[in-house]
Amino acid sequence: MLEIGSIVDDKYKILSEIGHGGMSVVYMAINEKANKTWAIKEVRKDGVLDFEAVRQGLIVETDMLKKLKHPNLPSIVDVIDSDDTFLIVMDYIEGNALSVTLRDYGAQPQEYVIDWARQLCDVLGYLHSREPAIIYRDMKPANVMLKPDGNLTLIDFGTAREYKEKNLADTTCLGTIGYAAPEQFGGMGQTDGRTDIYCLGATLYHLVTGCNPSEPPYEIKPIREINASLSGGLEQIIIKCTQRNPEDRYQSCAELMYALEHFEEIDDGYRKKQRGKLRVFMAAAVMTIISLTLGVGTGQAAGRMATDNYESLMEEAAKTTDYEQKKALYEEAVGIPDKSGEKSAYLELIKLFKEDNVFTVEEQKLLVSLIKNNQIVLKENVDAYVEICFETGKLFWYYYNYGDGSDNQVVRMKSAIEWFQDVIRNAPEDYVNLGMAQVYSSIGEFYRDIAINTVEASDRGLYQPFFVEINELMDQVCGDETESEIVVLELLELVRSSLQQYATKFKTDGVTWEDISALYDRVALEVANIETQTDKTTEKKNLTAALLEDTERAIAIAYGVGTEGGE
Amino acid sequence: MNFIVSASTDVGNVKSSNQDSLNVKTLTINGETMVFAIICDGMGGLEKGEVASASMVKAFCSWVLNRLPVLCAWGLDGMQIRKEWFGLIEEYNEKIKIYGKKSAIHMGTTVTAMLLTGGYYYIVNVGDSRAYEICSNLQVLTRDQTVVAREVEQGLLTLEQAETDPRRSVLLQCIGASDVVYPDFFLGEVKKDAVYMLCSDGFRHEITAEEIFAYFHPGRMLNEMIMKESETALIALNKQRQEKDNISVITIRTF
Repeated sequence: MLEIGSIVDDKYKILSEIGHGGMSVVYMAINEKANKTWAIKEVRKDGVLDFEAVRQGLIVETDMLKKLKHPNLPSIVDVIDSDDTFLIVMDYIEGNALSVTLRDYGAQPQEYVIDWARQLCDVLGYLHSREPAIIYRDMKPANVMLKPDGNLTLIDFGTAREYKEKNLADTTCLGTIGYAAPEQFGGMGQTDGRTDIYCLGATLYHLVTGCNPSEPPYEIKPIREINASLSGGLEQIIIKCTQRNPEDRYQSCAELMYALEHFEEIDDGYRKKQRGKLRVFMAAAVMTIISLTLGVGTGQAAGRMATDNYESLMEEAAKTTDYEQKKALYEEAVGIPDKSGEKSAYLELIKLFKEDNVFTVEEQKLLVSLIKNNQIVLKENVDAYVEICFETGKLFWYYYNYGDGSDNQVVRMKSAIEWFQDVIRNAPEDYVNLGMAQVYSSIGEFYRDIAINTVEASDRGLYQPFFVEINELMDQVCGDETESEIVVLELLELVRSSLQQYATKFKTDGVTWEDISALYDRVALEVANIETQTDKTTEKKNLTAALLEDTERAIAIAYGVGTEGGE
Repeated sequence: MNFIVSASTDVGNVKSSNQDSLNVKTLTINGETMVFAIICDGMGGLEKGEVASASMVKAFCSWVLNRLPVLCAWGLDGMQIRKEWFGLIEEYNEKIKIYGKKSAIHMGTTVTAMLLTGGYYYIVNVGDSRAYEICSNLQVLTRDQTVVAREVEQGLLTLEQAETDPRRSVLLQCIGASDVVYPDFFLGEVKKDAVYMLCSDGFRHEITAEEIFAYFHPGRMLNEMIMKESETALIALNKQRQEKDNISVITIRTF
């Protein structure tokens, strides 16, 4: 036992005892010279049966912890190993454990829990990606500190080891082992990263419902059975995290993180179904209004003096450099009654919208309404119609910016799907871009559906075709020298991020190491070679380049190359 | 109703100490004969498990001595017994927890306590010790609070799988290690010419229900000597089959 007021290692003055665990006591200490507060954990010789073994374990463990650096982990600054005690000096974490928050305030608001989930998922992902992977094994509210700034710190790495060596022939009690995953009881397979995902799921369940899964009724129910106002997306995520069989859970923290960032889309999927009936009615109502407007519009136009014809408008637009004027002229050209089936005004408009590399929401509204309103006339010339649809699809896919400017790749792809599908539905068999439209459409659908499929665990087998398609798209886009740099960069980032995110899935779906590394090499090469002309594209290029290393590591870990998975 | 009682405990083959604690007593209050029996299976590091189990047993015995006569004077009522026993368990859950924290070890205990009167029996249970009723067949009166028992209930495991599951010794809760303890309470009519049996889990893992019935059925359990011999025989059988845990059993014959 350290004495309060004593000085340890000539530096740290012990101020008070702040807690104790199974075999250790934690003190608050101050380095008076530096005027900084630290926590000192003392492992007592009399608290353990075989101190030497424990000490060896602690040396390995603290050596490992000293190498870690993550905003949600405390750092170890010093280890003092003397004859009868073992002292670990680490960050003093202000705040309370989440178990205290739960005890005092009960269930926590969903927004907080989602934010915490992302932080915890991030730190677990960090631990799992170490070499060798570090499995935490003891995620529970009591081991997570909530700091006054709202951020979390994961504490107590000692228990994981202690627990692993527990003799399970002896009677033990669930209360002492927290939210253990089934495989942690031994005899049911090794523990790995998915064990932490289970415990994280159980922790989230406790936080958001206030029900402790290790107390009666000892089960993890769908969270909306406890509180109907909670998110269906979060419910699915928790269910998937806490599956008995590790194979049925999220396979990596990256996968879980993706779900946590898209849980609202899963909600949407649910709501969409609910709103289906309403939408059919609304569509009918809208069609009625459009037909009425069209009727009125045509009538007026017919009565107008048509002095300015289509060609002169197009010519004038081509000469103008002013964006607003150009836009107005093309719009007018499309508006000429018997010219609304001509493709060139639409295609020029699309070109115009690409110029500043951003397809804005306003531009999108204008273009979509022009095309939809004139759809019947446009379809009379199928070649023209499919060309417009294909170009619009690409415009959405690569340039669409629907708002806050944050990453909206999935939104862009989703919005693009219907245009490519229109191409597929209408194009003649020999249409040159038909194959590409199919590729875009299936990649878009993959992204649209994967979040839900992953939650429903029906995603197996989807990754292999997806892999083939992104390869095909790489062939097309990178082989075409006239393709704009933003298109190439967008695609490279798309391929890079899917390689990183789905590396494990590609492997499970049978993509070979050779194929995946060939694709990775190709992306790396293209990124290195592309010469960017604008600030925006340079930024994009640098962003992708900076993430290449992580991507390579993710692939290596998934394929077990040059690294050790599991324990 | 008349009762004959017997009890046996053994440290077993492997452990260095016996962490089971038990007590059985016949008592007469206001002319009515009753039996109180209790088995607690302690667990914990540094051989402190028996501290947890013994303190729980003592607490119940002191309740029998001090509170039971009062309750009998009021007219024995199941709800009142339940309330007082649950209070006792809650109190000791805290006490053992605090003691464990002080000595920096995890410790805890199960409890199966049973009161038999001329009319009814009352049982309280936390953990995986059991109470049985043996008449024409063998019936378990308690419900194990274990992870595997719950999974059997949920249909995730069969009874056979549960027997060999590596988690079979993991309790859902126990006194001294759970934040809150939720005991089970059972009540039923005491049958004449039956055998009631309490045991720790060490008594029942290696032997079958048929073997228990063969030794403990009322037709055989006719006097105290035979009862003791039967207990000893089954404990020996357990040890012969390499049971590692402590082994304890109490039998009560009604007539």
